[in-house]
Amino acid sequence: MAKNLDMLEQTKLDKITSDLLRHIRMNKSFVLWLSFLGLALVVCIYAYTIQLKEGLSVTGLRDYVSWGMYIGNFIFFVATSLVGMLISAVLGLSGQKWAAPLARIAEFIALAFAAVAGLVIVMDMGRPERLLNVMLFARIQSPIVWDITVVITYVAISALLLYLPLIPDIKMCADKLTNIHPLLRKLYRILALNWKGTPEQAKLLKKSTRILAIMIIPVALAIHTVTSWLFASTTRVGWDSSIFGPYFVTGAFVSGAAAVIIAMFFYRTNFKLKDYITELHFDKMGKLLVLLSLVYLYFNLNEFMVPGYKMKKFDAIHLRELFTGAHALLFWSVQIFGLILPILLLFFKKMRKPAPILIIAIFVILGAWFKRYLIVVPTLEHPFLPIQNVPLNFKFYAPTLVETMITIAPIILVLIIITILSKLFPIVPIQETIEHLEESKK
Amino acid sequence: MLRKYIHSKTTLAFLFTALVCLQSFAQDWDIPANKKSKNSYFPFTKETIEDGEGLFLKNCQSCHGNLGKDNSLKSLKPTPPDLAGAKTQERTDGDLFYIITTGRLIMPSFKTIIAEEDRWDLVSYIRSLNKKYIQVLSKNDPSKSKLVVVKMSFDSLSYKLRVDVKANEKEGVIALKDAEVFLFAERYFGRLQIDSTHHTNNDGVAFFSFPKDLPGDKNGNINLVVTVGDEVYGEIEAAKSLKIGVPTDKPSLTEKRAIWNTVTKAPIWLMLTYTLILLGVGAFLLYIVFSLMKIKKLGKE
Repeated sequence: MAKNLDMLEQTKLDKITSDLLRHIRMNKSFVLWLSFLGLALVVCIYAYTIQLKEGLSVTGLRDYVSWGMYIGNFIFFVATSLVGMLISAVLGLSGQKWAAPLARIAEFIALAFAAVAGLVIVMDMGRPERLLNVMLFARIQSPIVWDITVVITYVAISALLLYLPLIPDIKMCADKLTNIHPLLRKLYRILALNWKGTPEQAKLLKKSTRILAIMIIPVALAIHTVTSWLFASTTRVGWDSSIFGPYFVTGAFVSGAAAVIIAMFFYRTNFKLKDYITELHFDKMGKLLVLLSLVYLYFNLNEFMVPGYKMKKFDAIHLRELFTGAHALLFWSVQIFGLILPILLLFFKKMRKPAPILIIAIFVILGAWFKRYLIVVPTLEHPFLPIQNVPLNFKFYAPTLVETMITIAPIILVLIIITILSKLFPIVPIQETIEHLEESKK
Repeated sequence: MLRKYIHSKTTLAFLFTALVCLQSFAQDWDIPANKKSKNSYFPFTKETIEDGEGLFLKNCQSCHGNLGKDNSLKSLKPTPPDLAGAKTQERTDGDLFYIITTGRLIMPSFKTIIAEEDRWDLVSYIRSLNKKYIQVLSKNDPSKSKLVVVKMSFDSLSYKLRVDVKANEKEGVIALKDAEVFLFAERYFGRLQIDSTHHTNNDGVAFFSFPKDLPGDKNGNINLVVTVGDEVYGEIEAAKSLKIGVPTDKPSLTEKRAIWNTVTKAPIWLMLTYTLILLGVGAFLLYIVFSLMKIKKLGKE
């Protein structure tokens, strides 16, 4: 009888392993999707070569609005990457077991967005071959230097936090996957670091993972706080705010949570993971998104209510432009469709089912992108000294087609990275799923 | 009393506005005859044109545009003319020199910014595209200016600076009468004119009242410059440092360590914090790498 039960248990474990390893293979849809992304990237790279040849004059950037879509895109990338810390560190350390299957998705997103964020900055340079000068003539007092430091650190820690819990799973990939290229198997063997699952190894791995999970919290907070200081350390209207750090961090969690929900949906349907990424996960993520959005709404209220009550001379110009002026349509769309409506809708359980929450998450992430645009551009259009004796296109920023394509390029690059990562490694942690199953039985 | 006060104030304001309007409506420069006929005492050459061009690019081009290209800044009122144009070229050298020196409305005065010789270089550059132009040299003998001696002395009781202008001619010392005298104090950017322009009296002496609150260096020294313009002797410049200012010891803003300073003068607390955080994070990352190596080693056994 006991033997039978053991066998039943074994088949169950085998099923989990094979289920979670199933998506690691080449198939038609993967090749098609990747070649579509590759083609789109080539087109965007062509646009970038135009910019390299002609300089930034091919963009809508001019003397006054010198930070446009590119920098908005950069903040969006840094912001979205923060979710890795939230899900695998904060939820993981606080014992939220339901979040365990989502940790790796969050880490993929974190690593891809953070790694590409640096590239976005290089794309905003008219003379990228002078990039080294930024390091050679760096001033330690400049928030830009701090930003470069924390972004690099965050990429390193994110990569490690992704890799360490993967080691037992990589071992399984090396042992159990059939039909893979010998070179890939060799790569798995190398990455598995002779993993045998001995108690000493397990203890070391657990301790290291824990250190990383704790360390990533301050580093992630630092990366987005410092990014906000790039703005807040100036005296410009709309940026000169003491709550810019927490305002950016909460905004980052909102867009990151939305990105995780979107990724969850696609992995669940395409990789047949319905038993592992369940409706419960969507429900919980929905509740998390509401909580984060409410905090973000609270910061938005502070950010606009306080200067809006006083309407100081230059603040008034800026706020009128947002509330009723040239940027009003975008501003209210972002606030209503990207923040207020999602909050109201997600209060209902029905809206936290996979399909509706996917649509809501798409609105939230679009809102998050345009929100960054609204943080960067309107402020630059209203300098303290009046704009005089310049051509009309210096006064109002309008992105060009080339600029738009160069902005899309990093988004495609992130999709490529996430796609390849999820075809190399199991998207739901196998070892952890088995451990949780055993723990729940005890 | 109050009414009268208000009344006089409104009248003043009205007069002032009227004056400004009149001035801006005045179409042309009002140039005194003796300035009009003034000429350079050195001939315009390739070198003077080259020097003038450099000065032109720095000081004039941003509004007047390039010579002969008609690309001056049209949005300014009154519109700055293209200086190779007929209207400018019809003027005398003295006119151009006067205009550059004094300025009017939005045209700034370069009296204290560009030295006299350089202002003539500018005139030579402005003339450079005009093929019909024939230079008229000043009848003054330029070597005569070397005979002039300018003496400055300060009377601390009346707080006046006395300027003596004398020429050492062969036949004896001659006082320069009715010569135009400017007094300047040197500062970071350009020169500060002190008191107004004076003319020497029959003894070749001019008095300038000196402000009591002019800041000097640590010891109160002020570098003074006197320029004298005379019909016969030309332009003469003399400099002298006098201890008549208020001693001022303000360290330069970039002297101490500060957040706005260069990297070599960064605040110590910042460098410490940055380094400590980097070292701390680096130590933990190293520990992780060692752990991974240990895991690998354990697996081999």
